[in-house]
Amino acid sequence: MSETLLWVLPVVPAVTALLMLTTHDRRILSAIDVCGSAVLLALTLVLAREVASGGPRAIGLLRIDDLGLIFLLLVAFLTLAVSIYTVGWLKQALAVGNMKSELLRSYFALVHAFVATMVVTVLADNLGVLWIAMEGTTITSAVLIGYHGHQHGLEAAWKYIIVTTIGISFGLFGTVVIYAAAAAAGLHGGAGALSWSAIMKVAPTLDPGIVRIGFIFVMVGYGTKAGLAPMHLWLPDAHSQAPTPVSALLSGVLIKCALLGIIRFQTIAAAACGPAFPAGVLLVFGLISVVVATPFILAQHDIKRLLGYHSVEHVGIVALGLGFGGRIGTYAALLHVVNHGITKALAFFAAGKAIARYGSRDMRVIRGLLSVAPIGGTLLMLAALSLAGVPPFSIFVSELLVLRAGIGQGHWVAIAIFLAMVVIIFAGLLHHVGSMVFGEPAAAVSREPETWSPLLGMMLLAAIMILLGLTIPASFDGLLRRATEIVR
Amino acid sequence: MSAETVHTIIDDLGALLLFTMILIVAAGQIYRAIYAVAAQSLFIAVAGAVLATATGNVDLWVIAGITLIVKAMVLPWVLHHVVQRMNIRREVEPVIPVGATLALAVLIVVVSFQLSASLGSVRQAITGNALPVGIALTLTGVLAMATQKTALTQMVGLFASENGIFFTAMSVTQGMPLIIEIGVILDVILAALVMAIMVLRVRSTVDADIADLDRLRG
Repeated sequence: MSETLLWVLPVVPAVTALLMLTTHDRRILSAIDVCGSAVLLALTLVLAREVASGGPRAIGLLRIDDLGLIFLLLVAFLTLAVSIYTVGWLKQALAVGNMKSELLRSYFALVHAFVATMVVTVLADNLGVLWIAMEGTTITSAVLIGYHGHQHGLEAAWKYIIVTTIGISFGLFGTVVIYAAAAAAGLHGGAGALSWSAIMKVAPTLDPGIVRIGFIFVMVGYGTKAGLAPMHLWLPDAHSQAPTPVSALLSGVLIKCALLGIIRFQTIAAAACGPAFPAGVLLVFGLISVVVATPFILAQHDIKRLLGYHSVEHVGIVALGLGFGGRIGTYAALLHVVNHGITKALAFFAAGKAIARYGSRDMRVIRGLLSVAPIGGTLLMLAALSLAGVPPFSIFVSELLVLRAGIGQGHWVAIAIFLAMVVIIFAGLLHHVGSMVFGEPAAAVSREPETWSPLLGMMLLAAIMILLGLTIPASFDGLLRRATEIVR
Repeated sequence: MSAETVHTIIDDLGALLLFTMILIVAAGQIYRAIYAVAAQSLFIAVAGAVLATATGNVDLWVIAGITLIVKAMVLPWVLHHVVQRMNIRREVEPVIPVGATLALAVLIVVVSFQLSASLGSVRQAITGNALPVGIALTLTGVLAMATQKTALTQMVGLFASENGIFFTAMSVTQGMPLIIEIGVILDVILAALVMAIMVLRVRSTVDADIADLDRLRG
């Protein structure tokens, strides 16, 4: 039963994508969108239950374990939230002419094709399939980033497809090199020799020298896709130019899928040449990302670019957690993946609504949001507080755990830099958001009431964000602990 | 064929690949760069055929055939088509002098060979000098993309870079699994098509090279 589910899961969004091509009607398209996403989430939950009781499952090139399950749940959950948000967002985007109604069906089809490729990256056991699906996400999402069709969108899309394709080809090279190491260690038989679980069995016997080279290539490759600095150049452009639901998917899920790829190779490298080597590489990239993002966050005026640079910072924090390592560090990194995914999607949703209301992405124009849109303004403020790392929200918990892991391992320099940057970003972000939410709005601002669909999608995410800040449910805690054991 | 002969042939092909790479980096006109990358793909296909004969691995014949058709014929044709549609007469515009780029390319080749000379046990897993040649091609492809700022030269650099990966992948003793190689090539074609569409779209709407757009900053 659960083995069948493994290959049904990527088929669900693929079929949804094909169904989209059958109609032009916006209502029907939105209905298919929400239903397809709901089915995906329901099947994911069934699979989660099976894995929790019966351990990892595998079929052919696909495999699910507790580690993959965390990311799969994130994909499925955010896809549903995005679908619900899209219903209302689309109505407005059509009204102001941001989206064209004759192009709608291909937009929806691409979104679900994008989701399908992401589901495959999460489920892939075969490292070759992982790469193919990862390049598939680039192709589908590049078209979506340029979807508005204006010059800036196309510029961002071009930069994205060129930078990530060349980046990810480094990832392929690293995969080939590690495959060669596995072949030299005596792993035989076609596609099986690229299987992560098969390589893990022989990992301690792999040649450390070649695995080191392979891991660095993979780190640069998948790191490009994850948005780690200094390979992050595509990220702020793509996140700011894409349609808002796509921004949420890029930031909330796609860069997390690339992190999963890095974690898979990290476990191989840790077994082959000791945990210190991959941890050191992750620490360096993590610190660079946190440091590079800070000045751009402070000086930013475009709200979506601000959130894009924030993703660079938070991916850096995940890399730091993985780099500090140990039980606490890995646990913190995985928790941060989920927390940031949910919070960042919420932030993009709320920012998207504010942008639509004010007709500008410039934070100096957006003023007094709370008085024209009380609920949307509150949600934007909550998301920003959480992103800044204020208790009791979820990101505070995972950042604290990352810090504790660093202290436990005695990485004092890294911790000092990390703390300094987090404090600066905290101040910068609160300044930006404070001036957007409070104050007097300009007279010309639209005061039309807020609509239910975007709010419902946002409240769903906000509820989880607050819940994970207050307490981590036992079942989710167990999942994280089992996944931590896989990585460690 | 003896193992020695195969090593020699692969090493000779590797030298030819590096030579075509130099032509791409130094190309003054976009057409020359396209022909050079087509020639490079042709050599990769020959390498595949040689390795297929030597190892008796049928999959490698398929891969060599696909490489010949897709990378040596279809992709260069797409690039050629785009160049004609764009009707560009202008030369390739290097960001830094070609001499400096060539010096960097030489440096990359030397470092790649140094790097893989330190890896003893890989010699058994990868035929001849395919690993250092592959690393050098991949990095020089990135160099070509970084130093020439037109959309088409960036695409050429990308394909050259991927050629390096294919060369190394073929030379891993067992060869890459066929299904994976086919998936990878499929991705390459799709990416090339999407890029070509973007280039033409920008050309037709704002009459500019998409790689020249630089409004998004900060």
